[in-house]
Amino acid sequence: MRSTYFAVLAALFLATLIGVALHFYLRARRSAGATWEELLKRLIWIDHDRIAAIAMDAVTESGDRRSDDESFNLDSSTIWSLLGGLEGLEALEKNCQVLVELAAYLQRWHPEALVVAEQLRLNAREIEWHVGRLKGAAQTGNIQASFGDYAQRAVVTYYFMTRHVLELYDRAGFSGLAELQSAL
Amino acid sequence: MQLTGFVRFLWAACFLGHILLLLVLFRRDRARSFPIFTTFVVFNIARTIVLYLTHRFLLGDAYAHAFRFFLIPDETLQFLVLFEVALHVFRPTGVWARDVWKTFAGMACASVVLALPLMWLALPSTATQARAIYVRGVFLCALLMSELFVSMLALSATVGLPWKTHVARIAQGLGAYSIVCVVTYTISNYFGNETQIFAVLATIRSTAYVVCEGYWIVMLWQEAPVPRELPESMLTQIYALQRQVEYDLTRIRTWRRS
Repeated sequence: MRSTYFAVLAALFLATLIGVALHFYLRARRSAGATWEELLKRLIWIDHDRIAAIAMDAVTESGDRRSDDESFNLDSSTIWSLLGGLEGLEALEKNCQVLVELAAYLQRWHPEALVVAEQLRLNAREIEWHVGRLKGAAQTGNIQASFGDYAQRAVVTYYFMTRHVLELYDRAGFSGLAELQSAL
Repeated sequence: MQLTGFVRFLWAACFLGHILLLLVLFRRDRARSFPIFTTFVVFNIARTIVLYLTHRFLLGDAYAHAFRFFLIPDETLQFLVLFEVALHVFRPTGVWARDVWKTFAGMACASVVLALPLMWLALPSTATQARAIYVRGVFLCALLMSELFVSMLALSATVGLPWKTHVARIAQGLGAYSIVCVVTYTISNYFGNETQIFAVLATIRSTAYVVCEGYWIVMLWQEAPVPRELPESMLTQIYALQRQVEYDLTRIRTWRRS
């Protein structure tokens, strides 16, 4: 009986192990081998003006928190409609992954870009965290209470990420900058 | 202890493989980047020499005792090689990536928790208690190695940390070999460890390791893609940009809507 349990458990363990290994190996390989065009194609179109409107409601162009009377005027429902709800936020999260891969793409030829790529990766992880919190809140029905804060923070992070990726490509003198600007 | 012709061939191939691998590591200047992996290779060369001399000149159970004696440093070094790979992957800028360390430690603990029941369930039919402990020990190590390898693969893909060429090749070789070990140890634990199947499975394992050595030799001989050099002014700008991105993130974290 014990040997049967062992055989069943070992078979399950091995199947899971090999399945997970293959899944992530192929995912990493796809990501590492992605061409410039493939990366650009993966970017989901997001209205940049709306992103800028949400971001500039909270911070200045230089990234400082706004403290004037006009700041933080957008309420949760306005941010929700400007962003397109949770779907919009998920699109933003997916784009973040592409932005990280774009930085990693540049790093293939210019390893010095690693420091920026790593920082951008941390930004993307921060956005993932905010979106995760909002998804959790959506499941418990508390999304309205937390949407404004988390979503706006995610948008501000995303807004600066796009600017920094463009700057990175600009500073490295990469020829595909114009295409990237229009894709973003 | 009698060795068949094919086992002798595997033994020789494994020894030559390690010598070649060591030459590649020094000739291509990889030893500096992978000191633990290099130590692992040196250890294997020394072990093979000692085991050969034991087998050739000593009688009785001397070879079996010597073989088991080398097991602990061998398994320890394999874990350390995996840790060296983790250092390369999860410390892209020289310090542990902030979002990775806790998850990595958690995954290591989870690997132990997952492997222990499987090891406990394994009922090796061995002649002595000491042999049973040995069989369970190597099975546990193989389980842990394969789990850690897959966990690292999953974690790096999830957090978006790419594997550099040679790091990936070392890890893939070791990971694939540890999965072969899990499969063969599982089968031998199920069918018994004193049978003909055990000898066949041991030969499969050795063959897999020789293939793995060949893979390392070829891959570590090849150069990684040559990066383009950036002018000093651009480098300064990139470092300034990194500071700016970091600063922005810190500021965004601290503000509140009200």
